[in-house]
Amino acid sequence: MTKQPFTLHVPDSELEYLKKKLEVSRFPDELEGAGWNYGAPLNDVKRLVARWKDGFDWRASEAHINTLPQFTRDIEVEGHGTLNIHYVHKKSKLESAIPLLFVHGWPGHFMEVSKILPLLTAVSPDQPSFHVVAFSLPGYGWSDAPKKPGFAAKQFAEVGHKLMLSLGYKEYVTQGGDWGHIITRTMQQAYGGTHIKAWHTNMPTAGPPQFSKTPLQFLKFLVTPWTPKEKAGLARTMQFRQSGNGYFQEQSTKPQTLGYSLADSPVGLLAWIYEKLHDWTDNYPWTDDEVLTWVSIYWFSKAGPAASVRIYYETNKAGDWTTARWTKVPCGASYFARELVQVPKPWFGAIANLVFTSDHDSGGHFAAFEVPELLVGDLRKMYGVGGPAFRVVPGKSGYATA
Amino acid sequence: MSEQPFKVSIPDSELDFLRKKLELTRFPDELDEAGWDYGVPLTDVKRLVARWKDGFDWRANEAAINALPQFTRDIEVDGHGKLNIHYVHSKSEAQNAIPLLYVHGWPGHFLEATKLLPLLTSADSDSPVFHVVVPSLPGYGFSETTKKKGFAASQYAEVSHKLMLSLGYTEYVTVGGDWGYWITRRIQHLYPDHAKAWHTTYPRGNAPQLTSNPIIWLRHLLTPYTQRDREGLKRSSDFVEKGRGYNHIQSTKPQTLGYSLADSPAGLLAWIYEKLVLWTDNYPWSDDEVLTWVSIYWFSRAGPAASIRIYYEITAAKDQLDTPGAKLSNPFGVSFFPKELFAPPISWAHTRGNLVFKSVHDRGGHFSAYEVPELLASDVRRFFGKGGPAFGVVHGKDGSPSN
Repeated sequence: MTKQPFTLHVPDSELEYLKKKLEVSRFPDELEGAGWNYGAPLNDVKRLVARWKDGFDWRASEAHINTLPQFTRDIEVEGHGTLNIHYVHKKSKLESAIPLLFVHGWPGHFMEVSKILPLLTAVSPDQPSFHVVAFSLPGYGWSDAPKKPGFAAKQFAEVGHKLMLSLGYKEYVTQGGDWGHIITRTMQQAYGGTHIKAWHTNMPTAGPPQFSKTPLQFLKFLVTPWTPKEKAGLARTMQFRQSGNGYFQEQSTKPQTLGYSLADSPVGLLAWIYEKLHDWTDNYPWTDDEVLTWVSIYWFSKAGPAASVRIYYETNKAGDWTTARWTKVPCGASYFARELVQVPKPWFGAIANLVFTSDHDSGGHFAAFEVPELLVGDLRKMYGVGGPAFRVVPGKSGYATA
Repeated sequence: MSEQPFKVSIPDSELDFLRKKLELTRFPDELDEAGWDYGVPLTDVKRLVARWKDGFDWRANEAAINALPQFTRDIEVDGHGKLNIHYVHSKSEAQNAIPLLYVHGWPGHFLEATKLLPLLTSADSDSPVFHVVVPSLPGYGFSETTKKKGFAASQYAEVSHKLMLSLGYTEYVTVGGDWGYWITRRIQHLYPDHAKAWHTTYPRGNAPQLTSNPIIWLRHLLTPYTQRDREGLKRSSDFVEKGRGYNHIQSTKPQTLGYSLADSPAGLLAWIYEKLVLWTDNYPWSDDEVLTWVSIYWFSRAGPAASIRIYYEITAAKDQLDTPGAKLSNPFGVSFFPKELFAPPISWAHTRGNLVFKSVHDRGGHFSAYEVPELLASDVRRFFGKGGPAFGVVHGKDGSPSN
C-alpha cells in the first residue's frame, strides 16, 4: 500500500481487555530493603499498575501522539515480502531542510522523537532546519513484524533506507542510538556516500581497535593514557555488563520463551521496561503517566510486545555486532554521561570517520527524550554553518540561503 | 513449630483464580518454522494452557502427591529467623537405614525425588536401604521463604543440615544436583563431620589448574579427549552460548522477572517447560506431568518469584566458591548422565572432591532422579552399599536391610 495517513486509535475492546487483565494482577513479594538491587521495586510497580487500571487516560496520551504527523506505507524487504511500516514524517517549512532519519531501539519507540521534532524542524537563520522521519522498527509501534527468521541489521537498514527513498529523500542523514546505532551504522556501510551523507549517534560503541584492521588507531590505543572520564566510562560499561545485561542474554537466545510473559502480563511487561527507563536514564524525572504511555505503546503495539525482542536474537545470529568497519561517511558522536556503554573515543574512531564529537555531563541512554536540547544542539553544531558536516546533503543545507 | 504432618491442599479460590487468569491469556505470535530455536514453540504452550484451563485435574494430582509422607517444621536460620520448612520424610522399615538428604534445584522441587523413594527405602536383596529426607528449599514448594537479603549457599546448607539434626540424624549422606550440588558442597565445607559422604550428578567447577591439581592437570594435558569428552565440551559450550539467558537474568534482576512469573501462568509455564524439555534426555513428558510440575511453582507457598532469588543471592555472596585452603575429604561420588547441562571431561571430577565413585551412563539428563530413577538409585546403592567406597560412613547405620 502506498502512503496512508495514520491516526492511532486503539480499539475500546483493547482498553477493556487491558483493564480486565490489570484487575486480576498478582504481585510477587519483595525482600526487605531490596531497593533497586533486585530489579524494579514492588511499590513502584504496584503504584503504576494501580494508575494504569484507574486514572491513566490512554485516550489523552493517544491524542498527544496524534499531534505528530503519522503515516503508513508498504516497504518491500528482500526475502521478507512486504511490511507495512508506521512512521512520523514532519517536514520543515523550509524546502531545503536536511532530510534526517531517526532510528530508535529497544525498549524505545517512535515517540522518542517527539521532543526533538519541533526543535529540529524549526526554521531560523541561526541554525539548520531538518525534515524528520522517525519510523517504528518492524515489530514495534504500529509497524508490521517480520514473519520469517533472519530479519537482522541488514533488513532493518533496508527498511529505513527504502522508506527515505520512497519519501523522495535520495540523499539524507541519520541519527540513532541503541539498535538505532547498529542499524544506522549498517545503513551507512551499505548506502553511505551515494545516499547517506553523514550519520550521528548518541551511543558510540566499538570494541578495542585491532592491529590488523586499523594499525594506527591500535598504536594510539596502546600509548594514550586513559582520561579519568574514560576510566569512569569503562567502569560503567563493566557494571552494565555484570549486572544489567541479563535481559540481553535472554532476548538474544530465547525471545519466544520470554515473549509468552511479555504478551500475557501487562504487569510483567511494565516491570521489564520500567526497569530500563529507570536504570538507563540520568535521573530523568519520569511521571507515572509518561511511563504508562511508554509501556502502553508496547502493550498495544500492532505486533505485540514479544515481536520486539526478536531483534536481539536475529542480530546475534547474523553476527551484526562484529561487522563494523571504517567508512569515510562523516560521523558525529555525542557522549552522554550515563550512557550504558562508554568506550574510549579512539575505539569508536577506528570504525567511524569522526568529524564531530561532544561530551555532556548529563543525559543517559534515551538522550532525545531526556535532554533533547543537548542532542539537538549537537546536531545543529555538526550540520550548521561552520560545522564539519555543513552542506553535506547537496542543495539541502538547512538554511534559506542554500 | 515442631513437626506437623502436612498435606497439600490448595484452596478452591486459588484454583478459580488460576482458571480466571488462564481464560484471559493472550499469546504472542511466532515466526514461521521457528521450531525450538527461539524458545518454546507456540503450539506446545497453547496446548498446555488449554489443558491447564480445562481437563487437567489438579485435585487428582494433589491426592497423588499426598500419598507421600510430608511434614513441616520450623527451622531457625542465623539472621533470617524461623522458616517453616516443608519436606518429605520417607523412612525405611530397617532400623539402620542410612539417613539420606536429597537436595533439589531450579526448576526442580521436592517431587523430582518421588520415583527414587521406593527404590531407596525398600529392601531389595543385598541393596542398602535409606531413610530419605527431601526438603522444599526455602522459596520452593510449600516452604516459607526468607524476608531478608543474603540467603545464600551457606543458609540453604544451614537449613538443610538443621532439618536433618532435628529429625535425629546427626550423621547422614547427601545426594544433589543443580543447586543441590552447590548446597551439598557447602554442607561439606560447613558440616563435614555430619554429612559423611556426598553424591552428585552435577560436578561443577573449573578446569584442573597446575597450581591446585597438578597431577590431574598433567593427566588432562597428556591424555587425548575421548569422543564423549569432546561431545561433552561442545554440549557445555552450546549451553553457555545459547541456553544460559535465564541464569543471567535470574542472577541480576530476579525481581523484575518475578513480576511476570507471578502474574502470568502461561509465562511461568513457558519459562519452566523450556527447561523440562531442553534439559532432559528425550523424557516423554505427558501434559499432565508438566502441568503438575508447573502447578507446584504456581501454587507454591512463597510464589514463583521467590524461587529465582537463589541465583542472585548465591552469585552475590560468592559462597559457592570453596573456602580457601579447604580440602573436601569425605567420600565423593559422581554419576555422569549424557544430557546434563555441563558435560566436562570425567577426569575433571577429581578436582571437585575426594572422588571415590564414578558411574557413567548413556542415557538421562539434568533431572536424572525423575528421568532415570533406577539408574540413579542403583548408583546410590553401589556407592553406599556393602563393598562400596562409602559403605558404613554413618556410624551404626550401614543400610543393611536384614536388621
